[in-house]
Amino acid sequence: MEVSSTALVLEGVCYAYEEAPREAVSDISLTIGEGEWVGVTGPTNAGKSTLCLLAMGLAPHFFGGRLKGKVTVLAKDSRSVSVIERSSEVGLLFQNPFTQVSGARERVDEEVAFGPECHGVARPEVDARVEEAMGLAGITHLAARHPMELSGGQLQRLALAGLLAMRPRLLLLDEPTSQLDPAGTAAIFQVLDGLHRRGTTIVMVEHRLETLCEVCPRVVAMVAGRVIADGAPEEVFNIEKVQERVGMPVFTRLARARALPRPWPVRLRDAASAFAKSIA
Amino acid sequence: MPEVRLDGVRFAYPGGVEVYPEPGLTLALGDGVTALVGENGAGKTTLTKLLIGLLRPNQGSVTVAGVDVASATVAEMARIVGYSFQNPDDQLFERTVKAEVSFGPRVLGKPAEDVERGVAWALKACGLQGKEEVHPHDLGLSERKWVAIASALAGEPKVVVLDEPTLGQDYPSRERLRMLAAQLADLGRAVLVVTHDMDFVGESCPTTVVLSHGVVRYAGATEKAFADRSMVDDAGIQPPHVTALARSLGMSESVSEAAFLAAIRW
Repeated sequence: MEVSSTALVLEGVCYAYEEAPREAVSDISLTIGEGEWVGVTGPTNAGKSTLCLLAMGLAPHFFGGRLKGKVTVLAKDSRSVSVIERSSEVGLLFQNPFTQVSGARERVDEEVAFGPECHGVARPEVDARVEEAMGLAGITHLAARHPMELSGGQLQRLALAGLLAMRPRLLLLDEPTSQLDPAGTAAIFQVLDGLHRRGTTIVMVEHRLETLCEVCPRVVAMVAGRVIADGAPEEVFNIEKVQERVGMPVFTRLARARALPRPWPVRLRDAASAFAKSIA
Repeated sequence: MPEVRLDGVRFAYPGGVEVYPEPGLTLALGDGVTALVGENGAGKTTLTKLLIGLLRPNQGSVTVAGVDVASATVAEMARIVGYSFQNPDDQLFERTVKAEVSFGPRVLGKPAEDVERGVAWALKACGLQGKEEVHPHDLGLSERKWVAIASALAGEPKVVVLDEPTLGQDYPSRERLRMLAAQLADLGRAVLVVTHDMDFVGESCPTTVVLSHGVVRYAGATEKAFADRSMVDDAGIQPPHVTALARSLGMSESVSEAAFLAAIRW
């Protein structure tokens, strides 16, 4: 495997969609090392999904628009790499799983095979990957179903399986568990944790700040196209500007309301001990 | 009198398993805000589609605001039930936000002034003022979700069904949604919220219905819904974060941040 210490580097990146009056992201500089698991959050129109599209190369290769600055993904300048080439090492899970499925396949297992097949992977290898990916995403029992008959939650797992079958080095996940119940969410995070341990880089957009703080060692907070904070969750959510403009986990908000000593907790276990101390 | 009543409802998708097993689903909901929660596949979205007549029960009856859904067309039900789909892209097709939001009341033949009033109210309540002439597909998922919600409200229906309204919503949007739900309850509407977002349930929905494998496991006050831990685990739901914190401190089970802070203050 090619050795590259950074998975994603943005240098002074500005991007505006075709005919858009303003930039979707402005002057972003960000370095994400290989093997990191980074959470991205921020209010509506912060530029989170655009960041994913830039990392995948869909912006500007598919969406057009104006790109300034430099986006380097797995040591290659995104301007010089096509999306099809990129998709062999980078996988993007769309925010809305309904837009992810190809629409060209009538069975779930065939849909999962779509990516590797398009990349000319040999049949026995495709079959092995499909079996593995369906197992990881927990959809083996749905193999013979039609993708369009699935529930939102099942479709989200299918979309993830399709990415996993490509065995990407960098996974870009736009709210990967938004349609899932707690058991489904826990199962997917277990899979992501396994991939992370094996060295896959994960960039994950997440609105649920409690979840974000629980799973991501590093958080990037964005507002109106700019990065306003970047660091460990307990640092980021103790910054007043982040609290005001992005919000904060329930635990942080409660600790703040109760005027507990700083830094305020961002996770359940830390909140439990902070409140226990305050009661004692 | 309950706004929504299901009596012994049985339903199966073609070629599929039964969603509500013997003896069928029986449930009565009054006005105010009710959360419908349960794991994926519990039968939540199916239930909402039965209310508007998009699906018809194989057995049993569904009554909404005094109307037997079996004897009404989907168009007639659309006057009574405002429905916002889980996926806004299943719902939106007009070229501007205003055309989209006014579509329902227009085709239902409401008087122009009623359409105007309902649309203006819905756009304001959903934070879409100033976006009337934007194409819905130029908006992000969160805002398209709001367009779908506004469309459900514009006809001033007696019953409002919101399927996963907090999906992809940031904190200010969730607060707006909480206020909107309370406002609808004050207006005497019945609001049914299908959601996996238990923090939203605790903050915004006084009543909760827990569905598991097509069976009602709990229907009643939200503050008591999470107290039966074996039921909660069994139904595959998790309590709100604030409830988890209260539990770990050995406090009574608060479901909202305000209740937690009041309880800890002594």
